[in-house]
Amino acid sequence: MEKYEKLEKVGEGTYGKVYKAKDKETGQLVALKKTRLEMDEEGVPPTALREVSLLQMLSQSLYIVRLLCVEHVDSKKEHGKPLLYLVFEYIDTDLKKFIDTYRKGPNPGPLPPSLVQSFLYQLCKGVSHCHSHGVLHRDLKPQNLLVDKEKGILKIADLGLGRAFTVPLKSYTHEIVTLWYRAPEVLLGSSHYSTGVDMWSVGCIFAEMARRQALFPGDSEFQQLLHIFRMMGTPTEKQWPGVSSLQDWHVYPQWEPQNLARAVPALEPDGLDLLSKMLKYDPAERISAKAALDHPYFDSLDKSQF
Amino acid sequence: MELDLENPLLSTFHDSIPSLFLIESDHMPSPPQSLKPTEFGLSIRREAMSLILHLSSNFNDPFLPYLSINYLDRFLSAQPITQVKPWVVKLTAISCVCLALKMKETEYSVSDIQENDEGFIFDMETIERMELLILGALQWRMRSITPFSFINFFISLFKFKDPPRVQALKARATEIIFKAQNDIRLLEFRPSIIAASALLSASHELFPLQFPCFRKAISSCSYVNEDNLVNCWNLMQEIAMDGYESVWDGVSSSSTPVNVLDGQFCSSSTTTSSGGDKTKNTSSEAAAAAMAVATVRLERDQKRRKIGCFPNDNSLMLPRIKQF
Repeated sequence: MEKYEKLEKVGEGTYGKVYKAKDKETGQLVALKKTRLEMDEEGVPPTALREVSLLQMLSQSLYIVRLLCVEHVDSKKEHGKPLLYLVFEYIDTDLKKFIDTYRKGPNPGPLPPSLVQSFLYQLCKGVSHCHSHGVLHRDLKPQNLLVDKEKGILKIADLGLGRAFTVPLKSYTHEIVTLWYRAPEVLLGSSHYSTGVDMWSVGCIFAEMARRQALFPGDSEFQQLLHIFRMMGTPTEKQWPGVSSLQDWHVYPQWEPQNLARAVPALEPDGLDLLSKMLKYDPAERISAKAALDHPYFDSLDKSQF
Repeated sequence: MELDLENPLLSTFHDSIPSLFLIESDHMPSPPQSLKPTEFGLSIRREAMSLILHLSSNFNDPFLPYLSINYLDRFLSAQPITQVKPWVVKLTAISCVCLALKMKETEYSVSDIQENDEGFIFDMETIERMELLILGALQWRMRSITPFSFINFFISLFKFKDPPRVQALKARATEIIFKAQNDIRLLEFRPSIIAASALLSASHELFPLQFPCFRKAISSCSYVNEDNLVNCWNLMQEIAMDGYESVWDGVSSSSTPVNVLDGQFCSSSTTTSSGGDKTKNTSSEAAAAAMAVATVRLERDQKRRKIGCFPNDNSLMLPRIKQF
């Protein structure tokens, strides 16, 4: 690891610290993600092996943050547990900070509609890539989407190292894990969920780019559900077969669905149609990332650049 | 998440094809070493391969030694073994097999693998360090893209409508790919080119009438470099024909293609055994047993020694461990 000079700590992800660092030889900036490797009785744990190698493959996509290399550090002498550094390309902004500059910056105003369209397209490309390889992200949110302002590129980061590394009871920094992008089936305690959970998050992120504010800013799981129900209407068995048998289902006030156009006035009709397909209650009805790429909302986008 | 060599990306068929062609070269041995192998390098590879076949003989999965040898070749090209230390070769072989077992989600324990083993026995800590060394050299790219990843794609280009014929073609091509792993000259070709050549060889043998059509279909595929295909195919035919009759003689009147495992073990046992036993076994257990006899013989004179950790003079061979 002497190859890199740590510059500053840029974050504490769920699984460990993230540093901005510089390759001493080339000057290239990188993001170093430090994780502890939990060795088991048979050496390198199979889950770590399979997940890091999967990450290695997925990161070949233009829309996934690139894993440049994997370095193992034997820290047995100091702490007992070997460390694994994942070295990623460094991208300076994330979508949260990017939206903030349009909200609080010196010249606040909406994001250009063509940029929202392009970012959403790139996000769907990346999500489709993950899903076609059998991988769910499970935690898509603006903080996990890195933005290269100059090139207008958006990339997915923090792809789940879900099972390979010790999952802490709380997040690493005791930071409250955001619920704003969490799909209703997850909030209602569904035991098996699928690609729809990521598409719900994509819908929330889409609306947030257009509104410059989160669509469902709940601060507890219960409040999060109420935010969703107040906007989308309380789900019924007819809309979403099986919803009332989900583990955490209770009797809720009966809200009628609101007009999405009023919540996201900046979106044109095609955009609203796509958004409503991403926010379908029944996960089986929710649009897939692949189908979203062919939605008329993207007809005016020059797809040849991607 | 188990690694399936026919589908390393776990993906829906057509989505993954362009990315497979794009990244396959990340999963090849790096050129300098493999293009001009020294006699010493060749003998190290031969020895490690025969150890891998021996160590994986209990698992009854021909893809296991294939994947292990894929790791071995990529590791040796990144970090050639330069010293004559038999335990280094064996440790490398064991670690490659352990890594392949983990990727294939096969239950095992290290003591099982080394059970009844003559020669060196390694403890877990030593194997673990070697695993990390190999992982570092391979950059944790353990979902190897191999020729098997391309077989279904190329077969789909043939537009074959008859499932038994597709099966026969695939089985023979698979057999040729297993055999081809023995030949170091093929390491310079991309996995996709090896797959295409193996299918061409198989179709040449099994369906000569349709061959020109197949050849055209493969050559016109935009991912395939025609010159490389021709070079690889010429080599491949030599390999495919070598021992071909003997393998087919061993099969009784059955029209089903030869079990791939037999092909694999028969061909390797004839190259590694000291010439005396040329038994043509047709059952995989018998072939594996013959293989085991051959490897045990190789090791017979080695003293059984327990190696607890790396000796102190390992700085030359294991620079990465020292690095941190």
